[in-house]
Amino acid sequence: MTNECKKGRNLKNSKSDMVNLTKNVDQKDDLKYNRRAFLKTAAGASIALGLSTVPFSVRAMMGMAEEENERVEIGRLDQLGEGESMTFNYPTDNDPAILVHTVNGDLVAYNSACTHLMCPVFYKKEEDILLCPCHKGYFDVNNGQPVEGPPQRELPLIEIEVENGIVYATGRKYRHG
Amino acid sequence: MDKKMCWILIFVTIAVNVVMVQWTVESYLGQEFNQVVIYSGISVVSAFIAFFVFLNWRKLEYAEENQQ
Repeated sequence: MTNECKKGRNLKNSKSDMVNLTKNVDQKDDLKYNRRAFLKTAAGASIALGLSTVPFSVRAMMGMAEEENERVEIGRLDQLGEGESMTFNYPTDNDPAILVHTVNGDLVAYNSACTHLMCPVFYKKEEDILLCPCHKGYFDVNNGQPVEGPPQRELPLIEIEVENGIVYATGRKYRHG
Repeated sequence: MDKKMCWILIFVTIAVNVVMVQWTVESYLGQEFNQVVIYSGISVVSAFIAFFVFLNWRKLEYAEENQQ
């Protein structure tokens, strides 16, 4: 091979011996699928995979710059008996959430979109558990962790405070427990 | 660095990047933004390593051919 055809060394009219093997009936395939092409594809795949994470880090840096969640009133505690639940939205109107007064007397709140396919979860008083009826996903009401069914991640925990009989949402944790 | 080492390094970077993509997405969904930046940084460095190793391999591969 000479330097004259350096740029076209993998083309059909190349002067490379590799390309112009005599009686090569599979010349087209040999040009496309060979050791060199394989490594080039592998390197390209590695670079593409590496760069595909950049948008996530850009969004993450934008997310880090966002303001802390504000304190929002959910409702009055005396209107929520033990074994009952109520829905609200936190931190935005597009984030449905559920406040549960468990049969043990604890107050817990989670975003109620199931971490499987975003169906709303409900509190099942008889079993003291959170249920997603779409695909029978169950979450532990005490910590929001999935205990049965397809969900793999816990429900986002909403931090609450009770002051003068009024329940407030003060923050949200995605990873907890 | 010989050509065999280039092959090894490129495949190691693929393995690293696959794992980093998985961890980045998991961390992003969990809103663990500090970890997203760390994993993404590792992934980008790995991608650059793959690129420069590939350039090195190409130099060696075609230099050998030119000598023939």
